[in-house]
Amino acid sequence: MPAAERYNRQILHWGKDRQQLLRAATALIAGVGGLGATVSQLLVRAGIGKLYLVDDGLVDWPDLNRQLLYNETDIGQPKLTIAKQRLQQINKDVTIEVLQKRIDQSFQPPADVSIIADCLDNYPSRFHLEASLETGSFLIHGGIEGDQGQVLTLQKGISQSLADIFTSAQQPQGDIPVTGSGATILSGFMVNEIFNTIFFQPQLLNRFLIVGLSDLHLAFLDV
Amino acid sequence: MINIQFYSLLRLLLKQEKFELASIGDDETIEQLLQRLQKQISTPFLQKLLDEQGEMFPGTIIMINRRNIHHLEKLETPIQDGDVVALFPPGAGG
Repeated sequence: MPAAERYNRQILHWGKDRQQLLRAATALIAGVGGLGATVSQLLVRAGIGKLYLVDDGLVDWPDLNRQLLYNETDIGQPKLTIAKQRLQQINKDVTIEVLQKRIDQSFQPPADVSIIADCLDNYPSRFHLEASLETGSFLIHGGIEGDQGQVLTLQKGISQSLADIFTSAQQPQGDIPVTGSGATILSGFMVNEIFNTIFFQPQLLNRFLIVGLSDLHLAFLDV
Repeated sequence: MINIQFYSLLRLLLKQEKFELASIGDDETIEQLLQRLQKQISTPFLQKLLDEQGEMFPGTIIMINRRNIHHLEKLETPIQDGDVVALFPPGAGG
């Protein structure tokens, strides 16, 4: 299938030059759960060049309401094994590498990563991820809890750090409430910003997009 | 004037996204400002931010001119005319 035909609908929207930029990009998806499973799928469908997936989890029943890459038959399997298989079925032209690990203080991102998506579900791993990045790297952060979520783009070493912004925002006790619709909407906003950033036009650099799903409000908060 | 912006669940609670209060001088702290605001509006909100001892609950970040007050003087941070205060409980999950 020629790329021109496969990506025809989006090339009509953003043009061939941007499709080439996307093809040349390498993204790291940290956390392949509620946000990361959809973010990675949309990037693969759009024809990103290469993806690194990082996660250490197994597919479990409570994942299935929102983690769109996984099915009942995958319960107990490593998420990354399933994710890579499904993503390659969607688009075999994308190179997909998996890093089966938890992101802690020892984490080092591969050298060829050009953009990083923070789809993690806990603050310590988010801060370790950010600390591991090279100066100048673009980090797209996403978070969701109940019917509220946020997306933010930071440039390592130039923006305030995520750790500084989120000082005092401790991890809630127990399971975090998340719906399939909420995770999918926030994932869409994240991917939109990943595209913008790959096209050298980030819209949320040092600016939270805060999404209220119950009353359908969007707000910006500069940081 | 001091601009106080509420986000996410706090905005839902107060049914309003921002308030403006006149500055009363350089001696007022962020905690005093929020107490003054609560007296002026019909919906109490400080119980969502502070415990009975006046300590901040984890979960909401308070920023003054884009900086988290934990990197300033916390609840004792002085407020000045023209400051922008933001209260934001971020979503923690992914």
